[in-house]
Amino acid sequence: MANLREIKTRIESIKSTKQITNAMKMVAASKLRKTQDNIINARPYADHVNNMLRTLKNKNISTDHPLLAEVTGKGKTVYIVVTSDRGLCGSFNTHIIKKAIIHLEKNPDADLICIGKKGYDYFRKHSTNVTENYINLFNEMDFSISTEVAEKILSLFLDENYDKIDVIYNEFKSAIQQDIIVKQLLPIVPIESDEISKLDYVYEPDEETIIYELGKKYIHVDIWRIMLESSAAEQGARMTAMDSATENAAELIDKLVLHYNRARQAAITTEIIEIASGAEAIQQ
Amino acid sequence: MSKIHITVIQPTQIRIDGEYDHIIVPGVDGDFGIYFDHTPFITKIRTGVLQLFQNDKSEEYAIHDGFVTVENNIVKIVCDTIEKKDEIDAARAKASKERAEKRLKSSEENINFRRAEASLKKALVRLELNSK
Repeated sequence: MANLREIKTRIESIKSTKQITNAMKMVAASKLRKTQDNIINARPYADHVNNMLRTLKNKNISTDHPLLAEVTGKGKTVYIVVTSDRGLCGSFNTHIIKKAIIHLEKNPDADLICIGKKGYDYFRKHSTNVTENYINLFNEMDFSISTEVAEKILSLFLDENYDKIDVIYNEFKSAIQQDIIVKQLLPIVPIESDEISKLDYVYEPDEETIIYELGKKYIHVDIWRIMLESSAAEQGARMTAMDSATENAAELIDKLVLHYNRARQAAITTEIIEIASGAEAIQQ
Repeated sequence: MSKIHITVIQPTQIRIDGEYDHIIVPGVDGDFGIYFDHTPFITKIRTGVLQLFQNDKSEEYAIHDGFVTVENNIVKIVCDTIEKKDEIDAARAKASKERAEKRLKSSEENINFRRAEASLKKALVRLELNSK
């Protein structure tokens, strides 16, 4: 029979684990709220840039601009894989990595850009295609940081003659649900919108420059949005994972307490029997 | 006089949203004013000072990198950063000005000149507005 003290130590250790998982859950919940606010705040900006770009593209001056060109299927593809920097968030990273592997198998000479430490750690060991990596960005999320990443991606795209750049990331649906999205980042495909104005604008300095600058801005915003989405999804995943961990710990504690009490009872019973039989032996 | 509606949108928030008499925007090809009934217009902003006028009072902001669209008396400005005079950290602006100058002067290769130049301009505009 398990030693009473042993069971007691186990109960104590599980209790402290439960406390930690519970605290992590709370932290994730508050970070999630903050990130969600950021997503909502970024929307008007993103919508406006998209509308401007759409208006310009509709007029259609030049689709031969590299940022807005058609995919030819000739050049190389780049996959940007967005994972988290930290673990303990359930299957968040595994699903993304699996998805990326499927795409890489179909397209073996594609290059990889890893955003997030978990994905980088995996692909560094299992693939030779990693060209760039950005780790530990999620701790201090800031527009200027995501802009730097976007600038590097842009110059990579323009200098290296890549055919297209796809992003694989988690999109936040709800605290318990994340959707894996595979989306073409470059060349830009502006989202259809009802707010396109038919007005004939005057462009300054000229349409070409505006379209190029707007395209760059569009990528800045898009990367920012993708990072926010992924970060929100990560916090959501962590929240659920930690919630079930806390629940499991509570269950385990209940079971162990039951065990402990049974063992205690058994010990007492044996003791009484020993005393009683001892007393009887003396009487005789 | 009829007013125009101005919205200034940053990636993290809607910064300004209100009615003004007219505004002066630092465009890439020079400053220009926007009054009531301006023609539909899209342009890029350079780093500079944005002035908003309302009932003889004016507000000034340091603005950096963005676009303006004008359409039916609704002006939308998207920009990365925008600061009012009292929000400017003069010490920081000065430090970043010196840093950028040093970067531009150095003979090393692999310097991102465009970025250094942009941050120098940004710092100069901030300092200029701050000293007004």
